[in-house]
Amino acid sequence: MNAFEYRTPRTPDEVLAILQEFGEDARAVAGGTALVTMMRQGLVRPACLVSLRDVTGLGRIEATNGVIRLGALVTHREAEVSPLLRERLPVLAETFRRVATVRIRHMATVGGALAHADPNQDPPVTLLALGARVEIQRAGGRRELPVEAFFRDYYETALEPGELVAGVSVPLLPSATGASFVKFLPRSADDYATVAVAAVVTLEPDGERCREARIALGSVAVTPLRARGAETVLAGQRLDQRVLRATGEAARAEVDPMTDHRGSAAYKREMTAVMVGRALTQAWDAARRALGSMR
Amino acid sequence: MTRAIRLRVNGATHEVEVPTYRTLLDCLRNDLGLTGSKEGCGVGVCGACTVLLDGKMISSCIALAVFADGHEVTTVEGLAEDERLHPVQQAFMDLGGFQCGICTPGQVVAAKALLDSTPNPSETEIREWMLGNLCRCTGYYKIVESIQAAAQAARQ
Amino acid sequence: MTFAQECVVPVARERLWDFLMDVPAVGRCVPGIESIQAGDDGAYRGGLKVQVGPIRLALQGTITVEEQDRSVWRARMRAEANDRRLGGGIRARMSVTLAPVAEGTRLHIETDLAVLGKIGEFGQPVIKKKADTLLQEFVRNIGSALAA
Repeated sequence: MNAFEYRTPRTPDEVLAILQEFGEDARAVAGGTALVTMMRQGLVRPACLVSLRDVTGLGRIEATNGVIRLGALVTHREAEVSPLLRERLPVLAETFRRVATVRIRHMATVGGALAHADPNQDPPVTLLALGARVEIQRAGGRRELPVEAFFRDYYETALEPGELVAGVSVPLLPSATGASFVKFLPRSADDYATVAVAAVVTLEPDGERCREARIALGSVAVTPLRARGAETVLAGQRLDQRVLRATGEAARAEVDPMTDHRGSAAYKREMTAVMVGRALTQAWDAARRALGSMR
Repeated sequence: MTRAIRLRVNGATHEVEVPTYRTLLDCLRNDLGLTGSKEGCGVGVCGACTVLLDGKMISSCIALAVFADGHEVTTVEGLAEDERLHPVQQAFMDLGGFQCGICTPGQVVAAKALLDSTPNPSETEIREWMLGNLCRCTGYYKIVESIQAAAQAARQ
Repeated sequence: MTFAQECVVPVARERLWDFLMDVPAVGRCVPGIESIQAGDDGAYRGGLKVQVGPIRLALQGTITVEEQDRSVWRARMRAEANDRRLGGGIRARMSVTLAPVAEGTRLHIETDLAVLGKIGEFGQPVIKKKADTLLQEFVRNIGSALAA
């Protein structure tokens, strides 16, 4: 790795001041699982690392007004085991659980996952399906962006220089709604997905037809992707084999995967259709259970 | 650029001046002479470098030494108490949980962390926790059995 | 890895050809180009900055026109560049053809790109996507340069 300055600020304002001081030569680091690895490979060479590890106030998981907020410094492991998250948004806790290994999850943070913007990551897919919003802190205030607008390209986000991810807020599921996360990984369990799907299905009060569906896909484009075409196919329909197939095919047409060691582009396209079907079936069943438990 | 850090390793306090780019693994091995933890893959995947940071298992090859400033680190050298091996270490010996030994420090540290958090883990829980500690020799059967035996011994 | 880019430039073939053979001029259309200077040997030396997220490449290299045949409106170029800090580089061969169309000239570029060393180890698919994007922008820049 290159020689770099290491700063340990205590507050978000101090972080922003250092980022301002160094401009694009500084990088914020929390868990470091992605960044330190890239630095060891010589791919990233910052002049200054701004550690977030001692910054207070960014590590909470809290629920207010139908929304769960995860601070940027919440680790994957904390999210995975959080009683609040497991009870109120189990699909998200489960998604964090699927990331890599416990060792990685002890260090890697929610904010870091968002800022890293690798489209192969799991949590952004579920956050996208759930309609989460990213909170960004800058000198002079905060702004919010829907997750969909936050990811711009491979490893690129909407973060401007001098900005920091402060947290992410996730709305709870409305009634008659079920959610699922399917991670297809034909290699080892700690790998990134070949294809990942997060589905959120809301049923009509009759419990038969889909009122609204949100389908997010990972590992099949340069960012996590909302499969809006597939969602349209499903809206208003009863879930049967024909509709599942049509939805899967619609999703397949929307993706643009890259061939890599996790699968060829053609294989990933095939698996998109298959995994969308599985995720929808699971989300549908969860929605019916949610509806049933209301009656 | 260097930084003076102060860390507690296996209960003893150390003050070292390290380059900022020094990994925790290199600091443990080279600055502190604790060569039990190994570098296998260098990218945090194989688990040979597993140590505990404030009781939580991490990959020390992708952690910076400066991360441990003011914190507690436990390495394989810190498992035994005087001459008494930790139940995990004893079980690995009794049941043949290692062959060449290169992954073993990481395995026993990870296993200790598991039993600290879940004293009576099911086989599924063991396999899920330990899935990031790779072994080329044993096929993992004896590792799982060793951990089960250690759990049982610790309960007695 | 191979790429094919095509665009229609609203100028006559002769004018586009002359522009393309002016290496410094066409070099300035490459996104991220920092400098381009003629060397004694007929090759041109230049610097190129490319960024993929937090990863920044600083490539230094040469570009040579290997073959040009105005009678069939075809040319071949070769580029080689390295990032010394990272230990890796690119080798590219580009084949350019011009065809007249109603709206002007169709520019067709076929590129054969090899990415070597450290850069190559880092996700070939990412590089492919990035190179594709850069070439698209390059071709657009040519169109803009000539429309001006």
